[in-house]
Amino acid sequence: MISKNSALKVLNESLKTGGDFAEIFLEETQNQSVNIDSSRTESPSTSMRYGAGIRILNKLQSVYGYTNDVSTKGLLSLASSLASSFNEERQLTVEKISTLRYKKRHLIQRPLDKVDLEEKITLLKSIEKIIREYDPLIVRSIVGLSNVVRNIEVFNSEGKHFTDQQQRIRIFLQAMASKDGVYETSFSGPGALQGFEYLSTLDLINEAKKVAKLAVDKLSAKDCPSGKMPVVIGNGFGGVIFHEAVGHPLEASAIAKGYSQFTNKVGQRVAHECVTAIDDGTIENGWGSFNIDDEGNVSTKNVLIEKGILKGYMVDRFNGRRMNAESTGAGRRQSYKYEPTSRMTNSYIAAGESTVEEIISSVKLGLYAKSLGGGSVNPATGDFNFAADEAYIIRDGKVCELVKGATLIGSGAEVLANIDMVANDLARAQGMCGAASGSIPVDVGQPTIRVSQITVGGQGGVLK
Amino acid sequence: MNVNKFFELAKKANLESCELVISSDRSLDISIFKSEVESYTVADNRVVYARGIFNGKMGFAISEKDDRTTPYYLIDQIVSAAKVSESDDIAIIFEGSEKYKKRNLYNKNLALVTEQEILANLLLIEKKLQNYDKRLHEVQDVSYSQSDTSYELYNSFGLKLKTKDNYFYYVASVLAKDGDDVKSGYEVKLYSDPKELDIDEIVKNAADKALEKLGAKPCASGLYKTLINQKVTASLLGAYLSSAKADNVQKKSSLFVGKLNTSVASSKVTVIDAPLTKNMFYSYFDDEGVAKFNKPVIEKGVLKTYFHNLSTAKKDNVTPTANGSNTGGKIGISVGNLLLKPGRKNKDALLEEIGEGFYLTEVQGLHAGLNPTSGDFSLQASGFMIRNGKIAEPINLVTIAGNLLTLFKNITAVGSDSQLQLSSFITSSIVVKKLAVSGE
Repeated sequence: MISKNSALKVLNESLKTGGDFAEIFLEETQNQSVNIDSSRTESPSTSMRYGAGIRILNKLQSVYGYTNDVSTKGLLSLASSLASSFNEERQLTVEKISTLRYKKRHLIQRPLDKVDLEEKITLLKSIEKIIREYDPLIVRSIVGLSNVVRNIEVFNSEGKHFTDQQQRIRIFLQAMASKDGVYETSFSGPGALQGFEYLSTLDLINEAKKVAKLAVDKLSAKDCPSGKMPVVIGNGFGGVIFHEAVGHPLEASAIAKGYSQFTNKVGQRVAHECVTAIDDGTIENGWGSFNIDDEGNVSTKNVLIEKGILKGYMVDRFNGRRMNAESTGAGRRQSYKYEPTSRMTNSYIAAGESTVEEIISSVKLGLYAKSLGGGSVNPATGDFNFAADEAYIIRDGKVCELVKGATLIGSGAEVLANIDMVANDLARAQGMCGAASGSIPVDVGQPTIRVSQITVGGQGGVLK
Repeated sequence: MNVNKFFELAKKANLESCELVISSDRSLDISIFKSEVESYTVADNRVVYARGIFNGKMGFAISEKDDRTTPYYLIDQIVSAAKVSESDDIAIIFEGSEKYKKRNLYNKNLALVTEQEILANLLLIEKKLQNYDKRLHEVQDVSYSQSDTSYELYNSFGLKLKTKDNYFYYVASVLAKDGDDVKSGYEVKLYSDPKELDIDEIVKNAADKALEKLGAKPCASGLYKTLINQKVTASLLGAYLSSAKADNVQKKSSLFVGKLNTSVASSKVTVIDAPLTKNMFYSYFDDEGVAKFNKPVIEKGVLKTYFHNLSTAKKDNVTPTANGSNTGGKIGISVGNLLLKPGRKNKDALLEEIGEGFYLTEVQGLHAGLNPTSGDFSLQASGFMIRNGKIAEPINLVTIAGNLLTLFKNITAVGSDSQLQLSSFITSSIVVKKLAVSGE
C-alpha cells in the first residue's frame, strides 16, 4: 500500500527521538456478510476497513497511533507526533528494507471475493430451508455467511517487509423454536482460513438438522439443577473452558506483569498428567491460523502444557521484552486500530486415552455439558463462568434428560487440577475472542473430559 | 469525502433516495505501569456509512477508505446489495423532523488539558493507591482515554444534521492480597468537564472494591431477599428492555410479544427513555435523523411503548420513537439513556428493611448466561450477605438464576440513590423479594 521508500522515511522519522524499534502496519480488509432470515435474503452488508498503525518501542515503553490517511505525508505526521513522546538521541537508522519470503501453508481454491453473491445466496437458502422445515415449532431460522479478505503489510526497523492475505469464511446456522410463549435457540458456526470450497467440506444438511433439533428439544428441557457436581465436558467448543480459564492466563500479556497464576511456573506441575495443551497457529486452513502474525513472526505450534507440566507461554514482541523471551508467533490484532499483543490461535487440549463411553460410565450422578456457549474469565483471579448450550444429567453412568440454563463457574487453576480423564475424540470449534487487541478469530478445542467437581448454577434445585 | 459527488452518482444510478453519514473520532489513550508510561495511543479515524433505496429495497455500504474512488464504491455496493435483497423491512430515508432540540454540550476546556497534566494525574492515582492499604499488593493498570467525535448526516431530501461530542475517562485497577487470596477491583470514571475530575474518589472506589472482596466465599444456596446495586440494576434493566426492541417483537422473538399496555414489572417501576437529559450521553437525533424526545417506557409497571426505528414504526403504524441505530450499515434499534425513576428510601434504609438477605454488587456473563427470548438467566455473581440490616461478609463464585420478567415483578422498592452509569442509564438500587442464589 506504500512504497519501500516511503516506509523508510516513516520508520526513520519514528526513530528520531531514541526509539529502539518502529513498525508500520497497513491493512485493507473487505468484509461481506449476507443472511437469510426465515426464507428472505436480507440486504447484504459490505464494508472496507482501511488504514495504518505505527508503533514505536523504547525499552519497556510503547507508543501507538493509527490513521486512515496512509499517504506518506499522513504517515510522517503520525510518526512525528508519536516520536514526540520520547526525547533521547537517535540510536537507530534504517538503511534498507527487504521483503521477507515465507512458506504459505493455507491454500485457497475459490477466493471468496471471486464467488458470485448469487451462488452464495442459493447455497444459504437451501440450508435455511432445512432448519425452517424441520419442525412446526421452529419460528425463526437464520443462515448467514461471513467472508473476510484481509490484506496486511508490515515494515519494521529491522529492515523487514512482508505482506499476507488472509481469507476467512464462516457460516452461521441459527434456529429458534417456540411453544406456549417459551423460546429456545440453538446455534452452530463453523469457519476456516480458506476459500469458498470450505463449505463443501462440511455436512451442512446434517448440521442444519442438528441445530433445529436442539432448539426444539430444549423447549421440553427441565431447568438444570445447581450445586457442586462432577461434570463431563463435551469435545469441540467445550474447549472454551480451557481457552478462558487457562489459555488467557498463559498469554504473555498476563504473564509479563506477573498477574497470572502461571507466572514463574514453567517446569512445574499445573495439571493432571492426562492433560497436554497446545496452541497451534500452523494448522492447515484452521480458523485461527495464519502464515505470519501481525508483527511479522511466522506462526508456530506451541506446546503449553505437556503431561500436566507447564512448558511455556504465548509470547509477543513487546511483552517478550519484559519476560526476556522470544516471540512465539502469537502477536495478533483485530485491525490497524489495535497495537498487537500475545493472543491464542487454535488452542486445544490434546487427545487422551480414555473413550467417551468410559468417561460417561464413570459418573454416578453429574452433568454432561455436551456443548458450551460463551463465557468470561477474570485474568487476575482466574474466576470464570460459562453457559452450557446443550447439557444432560448423567445417572449411573448413562446420559439422561436434557436440561437448560446451566452455568459452570469456578476458578481456572482449580478446574485444571480437577480434570482427571481425557478422551480420544479431539475436535476443534470456531469462535471470536475479545481482549486488549480486539476481536480475533480463534479455534478452541478438546476431547471429551471429566472434571471431578465444578459448581453448576441453574434454576432446577438440588441434583437428585 | 465528496458529499456532492456521492449524491450526483446516486442520481445517475437511479437511487430513489439516499443518505451519507461521516463519523470521525480523534482519541488519546495513555496508561502507566510501575510509574512509567507503558502505552500511549493516538488515533484519527473516519468512517463513511452510506445507505440508499434502489427498486424499493435498501442497500448499504461502509468505507474507511476516503479517496476519489469512494463515492463510486459506495454506490456500487448499495445497488448490488439492494438487487439481491428480499428484506420485508420497509425502506425509508427520512425527510426530517419538524423540530430538533439541539444543545451544545461540547466541552472546550478538554482541549486545554496537557499531556503533562494527564501524566501527573495518572502518577498521583498510582501513588495514592500504593499508599491506600497494605493489602493492596499491586496497581495493575492506571489509564486515561479521551475522545473527540463528530457525526454528520446528509440525505437526498436536503437534511443536514451535525453533532460534536467529547469526553474523557480514567481507569484504575488494583489487586488486593491476603495470604493466597487475591481479589481485583477497578473503577472507570467518565467525565466531560475536566473540572469534575475527583482523583480521591477514583482511588477509593477502585481500592475498596478489591479490599471488600477479600475473604469472599460462596454462601449457602437458597432464596434470598436481595438488594441489587445501581450498576447491576442497569445491566439487568438493559438486558430486559432490549427485548422491547420492536424488530424482535415483530419477528416474534421477544418475551414482550403482546405485552404492550400490560404489566411487565412491579408498580414501583417507572422507566423513562430520556435522551435529552443534560449529561454526556445527551443526543438529539438518531441514526436515521429522527429528532429524539423523552418518553415513558414503563409507567408504574405497565409497558407503554416498544423501541422503534422508522421501518418498525411504520409496520406498527405508530410514531417513531427515535431509537434507530446504525449497526454495521444496517439500521437496527438501540436502547440507551434509560432513567429508572428513583424512590424515596436511601440504601441504608433499604438494607435495614431487608434485615437478612443478599446484597448483589456484580454479575458476569450477561452475554452468555441470559436467554433474551425467554428472559431466563443464570449468571456468575458476587456481593455481600446482609445481616441485621447491615452489609456483612463478602460472597463470590455464586450464581443467581431466575427469569427477568419475574425479577422485575418481584421488585418491592426502588432506592433514592440515582447514579449515572457508563451504559448511559441512570439507575438506583432495587430490592427484590426473592432471588435464587446458588453457592455451597
